[in-house]
Amino acid sequence: MRPVDVLRWPVVGRWLRWKHARTSIQVVLLILATVVVLHGLFGPDIAPANLATVLTWVHYRGLLVVALLAAGNFFCTGCPFVLVRDLGRRVRPPTRRWPRFLRTKWIAVFLFVAVLFAYEYFDLWALPPATAYLVLAYFGAAFAIDLIFTGASFCKYLCPIGQFNFAASVVSPLELRVREPDTCRTCQSHDCIRGRRQPAAPAVVTQRGCELGLFLPTKIGNLDCTFCMDCVQACPHDNIGLMWRPPAAELAELQRRSGIGRLVRRKDLAALAVVFTFAALLNAFAMTAPAHGVQAWLTEVTGGTSEAMSLALLFVIALGVMPLTFIGTAAALTSRIARHSAGSVSQVALRYSYALIPVGVGVWAAHYGFHLLTGALTVIPVIQNAAIDMFSRPLLGNPLWQWTGMRPGAVFPIQVGLILLGAMGSLAVAYRISESDQPTRPGLSTLPWAVVTIVLATIAVWTLSQPMDMRGVGLAG
Amino acid sequence: MEFQGLRLDTSALKLLIVLAFCAVCGCGRGERIAADPIEPHVTLTPRELAAGVATVATLRLQDSSRRPLSGAELQVQAFMSHPGMAPLIVTAVEKGDGVYEARLQLTMAGDWILRVTGQLPDGRMIDSSFKAQVSSLKPNVE
Repeated sequence: MRPVDVLRWPVVGRWLRWKHARTSIQVVLLILATVVVLHGLFGPDIAPANLATVLTWVHYRGLLVVALLAAGNFFCTGCPFVLVRDLGRRVRPPTRRWPRFLRTKWIAVFLFVAVLFAYEYFDLWALPPATAYLVLAYFGAAFAIDLIFTGASFCKYLCPIGQFNFAASVVSPLELRVREPDTCRTCQSHDCIRGRRQPAAPAVVTQRGCELGLFLPTKIGNLDCTFCMDCVQACPHDNIGLMWRPPAAELAELQRRSGIGRLVRRKDLAALAVVFTFAALLNAFAMTAPAHGVQAWLTEVTGGTSEAMSLALLFVIALGVMPLTFIGTAAALTSRIARHSAGSVSQVALRYSYALIPVGVGVWAAHYGFHLLTGALTVIPVIQNAAIDMFSRPLLGNPLWQWTGMRPGAVFPIQVGLILLGAMGSLAVAYRISESDQPTRPGLSTLPWAVVTIVLATIAVWTLSQPMDMRGVGLAG
Repeated sequence: MEFQGLRLDTSALKLLIVLAFCAVCGCGRGERIAADPIEPHVTLTPRELAAGVATVATLRLQDSSRRPLSGAELQVQAFMSHPGMAPLIVTAVEKGDGVYEARLQLTMAGDWILRVTGQLPDGRMIDSSFKAQVSSLKPNVE
C-alpha cells in the first residue's frame, strides 16, 4: 500500500506544492509580527489588553504546539524572520560559511535556556514592550547572522524557537521524505541539496536546495527540517513527498542521518533533548504557587537576596541536577541489566535520552494548550480595545472582556491526556531502543526508563494541578 | 521588483509602508484617549490580599484643591498579569464625599493590575492603573 502523501492531496497538496506557498504563510506571519511589535511598543502596558503579549504567549505558543502535534513543523515553514532575511540577502548575499567548530547545537541549547531564563526573570509574559523587543531581537539576529553566513545558519545552529520545533517535531505525524528511493539512486544532479541551477550559468541558483544540509535520500526523521519545501521545489523528478509516519519512531533509529550523523554520537543533540524535556516541567512549574515557595526557600538557604541567583539555582536543579540524577541512575541500571553489552553508562544515557522527548512534548502541549484553550477568545476584546485606542471610538464594539475560552477545570483532563500520551510515546521509544540494543532482555532494560518517564509524567500532572500564581506586572510604579 | 520569482509592485510596497507608519502614529501614546490628571486614591481592604477573599477597593476622588469630586461613573477592571485570562470588571458605587467603592473577588494568587476608568460629570476622563499582589502564602499589597 502506498503511504499517505499529503502533497498528493487535491487541494492542500496542490497548495503546498505551489512555489509561493511558503512566502504566503510568511507574509501572514510577518503582518502578525508587525502588529505584535507595534502594539507591544505603542499599545497599553497591561499585558492581557495588549496584542503583543496575547498573540505571542497565548496564541502563537499554543498553535505552534498544535501544528507540531497535528501535522509538522509548519511554524518554521512560515517563519517571518527568514522572509526578511531573504529580502536582505537579495541586497547583500552572504559569503562566509558557518565555522566548522560551531556546527553543533551547544550554542542553541545555551540560547534556549537563556530565553527561558529571561522569560521567568523578566516576566516577559507581563511586558508588552519587552515582548516586542524580543521579537525584534529575533528578526535582528536572523538577519545579521544569515547576511554573513550562507545556508540557514541561524535556524540550524542558533534559533531557540527552531530548536524547540526540531525537538518537538520528532513526534509529528508528517515527514518530508523520498517517494521512490530507486529514483534517487540514478539521480546525478542532487538538486534537493545543491539547488536547481541555470543550465547556461551553473553558478546561478534558480531554486535553492535544503539550506540545512539535509540530503533527502539519506534524511531520516524531522530533526533540523524546517518544512520549507525547498527540496520539493528543487527535485527534478517530483520524488519528494510529505508522508505520514509513526510519530517518534525515528528516535530509535541508529542509522547515520544526513546533516546530523548518528544520534548516539551527538552529545549536543542529546543535551537538547534533555533540556527540552526538563524545561517543559520547569516552565510549567514556574507559574504555580509552590514555585514561589521553592524560590523563597532557595533564597533563604543560600542566604542571598537576589532573585536572579535563586532563579538560576532553580534552573541548575531542574536542568542540571535532576536530569543527571534521573538519567544517570537509569543508564547505570540499564547498563547493569544489559551486563555492559550496551556500552558504557554514558553511551546508554546518550542513546535513551532521546526517548524522553515525547513526554516532554506532552508537557509542553499540556501547558501551552492550557493557555490557548482557556484564552483563545481573549484576542477579540483586545482587538476591540485596540480599535478604541486607535480611533477613539468603539469601531468594533465595546470590548467583550468576558470572552475567554474553556474553563480551566474542563481543560485539565485534556492536559492529563496529553501528558499520558507523551509518556506512552516515551515508553514505546525506550522499548524499541531496548529491542534493538538488548534483544535478549528488552523489557528489563526498559524498566529504569519507564520509571523515569512515569516520575516525569507524575511531576507534570501534579504541577498542572497546582493553583496558578503568576508573578510580574508590566507596569511602572 | 521581483522576490523568489514573485513580482512585487513597488507602489503597493510604498502603500504598505505608509499604512504601517499610520498605524504607528494612530496607536501611539499621543493618540490615546486623553486622560485627565485626576488620580483616584485607592485603598484595598483587607490590606493583605488573598486569593478568593472578598476585597473592597475604596476610591477617593479629589480635585487639585482637595475638594471631593462627586457624580463620577467609575469602573474597576482587575487584570491578571498573564494574558489570556478574563478580567474582573466591577462598577464602583458612590458612597458620598467623593468616595466610591468596588467589591472584588480576586480569584487567583499572583500579580494583578487594577485599572480604574471613568468619567466625571463635566466630561473629564479618569484612567489610572496600579498593581496589587494577591497571595495564598504570604499576603501583602503594594
